[in-house]
Amino acid sequence: MRSFSPDRRKFLKLSMAAAGSSLILGISWSCTQDTPSNTDNQSDNFSPNAWLRLDPDGSITVIVAESEMGQGPYTLMPMMVAEELEVEWDRIKVEHASLDPVYGYQLTGGSGSIRKGWSTLREAGAVAKELLLGAGALALSVPVIECTARLGKVVHNPSGREVAYNELTDIAAKQPIPGTAQLKEPNEFTIIGQPVPRLDVPEKINGKARFGIDTKLPGMLYATITHCPVFGGKPKSIDASEAKSIKGVKDVFPIDEGVVVVASDTWTAFKAKEVLSIDWEYGNKTRISTESIINQLKARPLEEAQTAWEEGDVETVLSGSNAAVTAEYIQPFQAHVPLEPMNCTAHFKGDGRLEVWAPTQSPSSAYDTAKAIVQSKIERGLKKVQKKLLGIHDDSIDVHTTLLGGGFGRRLKQDYVSEVVQVAQRYEQPVQLVWTREEDVQHDHYHPLTLHKMRGATDENGMLIAWEHIIHGLKVNASGAATLLYDIPNTRVLVQDIGAIVPWGPWRSVAPHYNIFAVEHFFDELARAGNNDPLELRLKLLRDHPRLSKVLEIAADKAKWEARPNGAISYGAAVLSEWGSNVAQIVELAETDNKYFQVKKVTCVIDCGIVINPDIVKQQMEGSIIFGLSAATKSKITINNGRVDQSNYHNYPILGIHETPEIEVIIVNNEEEPGGIGEPGVPPLAPALANAFLSATGKPIRELPINIESG
Amino acid sequence: MQISVNGKIHNVDAGEETPLLWVLRDHLGLTGTKYGCGIGACGSCTVLLEDEPVRACLTLLGEVENKKITTIEGISPESNHPVQQAWEELQVPQCGYCQSGQIISAVALLSETDEPTDEDIDEMMSGILCRCGTYPRIREAIKLAARKISEQRINQ
Ligand code: FES
Ligand code: FES
Repeated sequence: MRSFSPDRRKFLKLSMAAAGSSLILGISWSCTQDTPSNTDNQSDNFSPNAWLRLDPDGSITVIVAESEMGQGPYTLMPMMVAEELEVEWDRIKVEHASLDPVYGYQLTGGSGSIRKGWSTLREAGAVAKELLLGAGALALSVPVIECTARLGKVVHNPSGREVAYNELTDIAAKQPIPGTAQLKEPNEFTIIGQPVPRLDVPEKINGKARFGIDTKLPGMLYATITHCPVFGGKPKSIDASEAKSIKGVKDVFPIDEGVVVVASDTWTAFKAKEVLSIDWEYGNKTRISTESIINQLKARPLEEAQTAWEEGDVETVLSGSNAAVTAEYIQPFQAHVPLEPMNCTAHFKGDGRLEVWAPTQSPSSAYDTAKAIVQSKIERGLKKVQKKLLGIHDDSIDVHTTLLGGGFGRRLKQDYVSEVVQVAQRYEQPVQLVWTREEDVQHDHYHPLTLHKMRGATDENGMLIAWEHIIHGLKVNASGAATLLYDIPNTRVLVQDIGAIVPWGPWRSVAPHYNIFAVEHFFDELARAGNNDPLELRLKLLRDHPRLSKVLEIAADKAKWEARPNGAISYGAAVLSEWGSNVAQIVELAETDNKYFQVKKVTCVIDCGIVINPDIVKQQMEGSIIFGLSAATKSKITINNGRVDQSNYHNYPILGIHETPEIEVIIVNNEEEPGGIGEPGVPPLAPALANAFLSATGKPIRELPINIESG
Repeated sequence: MQISVNGKIHNVDAGEETPLLWVLRDHLGLTGTKYGCGIGACGSCTVLLEDEPVRACLTLLGEVENKKITTIEGISPESNHPVQQAWEELQVPQCGYCQSGQIISAVALLSETDEPTDEDIDEMMSGILCRCGTYPRIREAIKLAARKISEQRINQ
């Protein structure tokens, strides 16, 4: 145990007498960030964004403000609280926070939930325990120093008398926030580090889990939208006569983003959408194609590139070397395609209040979007709307976050919220908007196409002496490429960004996904050029990164790199150090006959610091590898005439169970600060696979996805 | 039109051409069956029709009159079908959206085969997509459920 002094500005405790004296504790993590806090004005600074509720019936509820999209916050966040509170795990319940400014800006992304909650949630548990200890001592009329908290009870050690937490909520709520509280040392953890079952699993195996698309409200109308096939286009004129003749179709009208059909049920809306005849104003993007973008990237003069990193003198070494190696890699646009299509439900109530049910990664940003629409409509003076909205003030918009049927970054964008709010303001009834899968694939915010130009040189011993990486793409950055982790004396990383000329969005693992591919595959090209074993060379040049070299060593050991068979199976390795975590992956590629390859096995080792729940880490690694393998071997978005060519899973395929290799995950346990787990497993897969191909065929990969049939 | 879902008869006021998926979801409020693609490419909408797995997005209301339909809500009274038990034990779901289709298909597979091989699993399950990548656990859970079912048989 170690003592800490709870920051009183960080905790707020309430007693809810009306609810039968529950103890409610609010925690703020804005104060844990390095922002100067104004101690004179404590109430203004107080921004609690996680809550803990102990009810008299004995249940303990942790209220989580992170969106659950499969990555586990509904389990991981409560685990951190429960650990310090000293309660049995099976008494913990989880509830999703409603949207409230007191929770701060609610956004889930960047593999940040655990890192954000690590100190604060444990401190919350510890403070609550301290309050309960004080209350227990009072109730038992004994000195608090003689009491311990154990399994949801305060125990008086000398006498063995005990009192349960739920009998103490009332007294505890009247205690002041304690001056000191105790946090456990990692070796005292009993919940953190255990593979406790996820709290969201029971309802996910019987059809009861409610995703956004499952929102059902009395009298609800169903809507769908068709967007202009060309990016940024608008409807010019609409012939809806056929659509409106379908029984159940209520209305067809344009909004900012496209043409909406409102109907009595989803299927009727979908059917009507198909028979709309729309004349589009295509706008100025009709000439954009994958090819034109690649040409544009290639043609950009290097002088316009931004230097992200420079050390030594790359130019001199490269021009003086007769062993310079060059490579170009192209990676395509990717779509997110979470299984739950984009959807959102909204209701303008009679009293002017707007309620939104959104499967979103950011309810705060959903709120901002809804509010902006409401305000802009008022400004544009749409009379009917104005009348309805006059009563709107800040807290009259409420956003309920549902379960998300996958996020992967797609649900950080709020286009579906903007659309449904525009539709719902025409009706008294609630309206649910559901996009077809075709709209989802063609109107995503894509992971950008990138082109990587690499140059490197080795000395006579095959050691790397120069490295240049130029990243070309749409809204790209150097994350994952600079700082280069390998110890090379002359290095330079440049970024050549042409901006988001097609809709751009964060996609699971974002920039490290494209950059790590280029870095790790080029590393193997250079290692081969210098006749080095890529694994040994990596370990040599990662000397200054002990955590990263350790995961690589373990992976090599587990995958039996040394003893790898000659010929029939080829190995490739790649590493990553991002989001506070270190990952190594080794791909085993089997050649089944002359032409056909099969990914046999992926060995993945992760060091993500202190592990909250090893089974969820394992899930995230498995899922990340499969996500990475889809992009590396199957899926790609292409553009022609300003439109996306693909439209559904048949032509934007993702991996199936029959294509999934054996996956072995090894977790390195240590006592470093916890790192992220949602994204770090994705980027190493593609380069590890490409390196296995390079080893099998002697030919580097120049473009993704890799044609698994032939390399 | 009358249809029988999970042992209950429902009167549905919808055209014969309406896909069963939307009858279940929008007309009967059985939202466990999911829409993922609408073209038979993702498997999220899989239900049992006379104990055979079908894609509800491609099955029309007119085809199912007087036939027995089972959805995820109807495979066991207390979420305790051996497949569900195995799913819980091995912690299969992540986001959970595809899982109704996965579980229903696994139930169908195990009613055909006592000891499914990897090839049997691939054949039945390859069309049921999971973007979260729960496939390794699905494979293991199907094998575990098969063992549970044979144990139940021995005990009976
Ligand atoms: S929704 Fe029926 S197969 Fe995808
Ligand atoms: S669990 Fe998320 S799509 Fe399968």
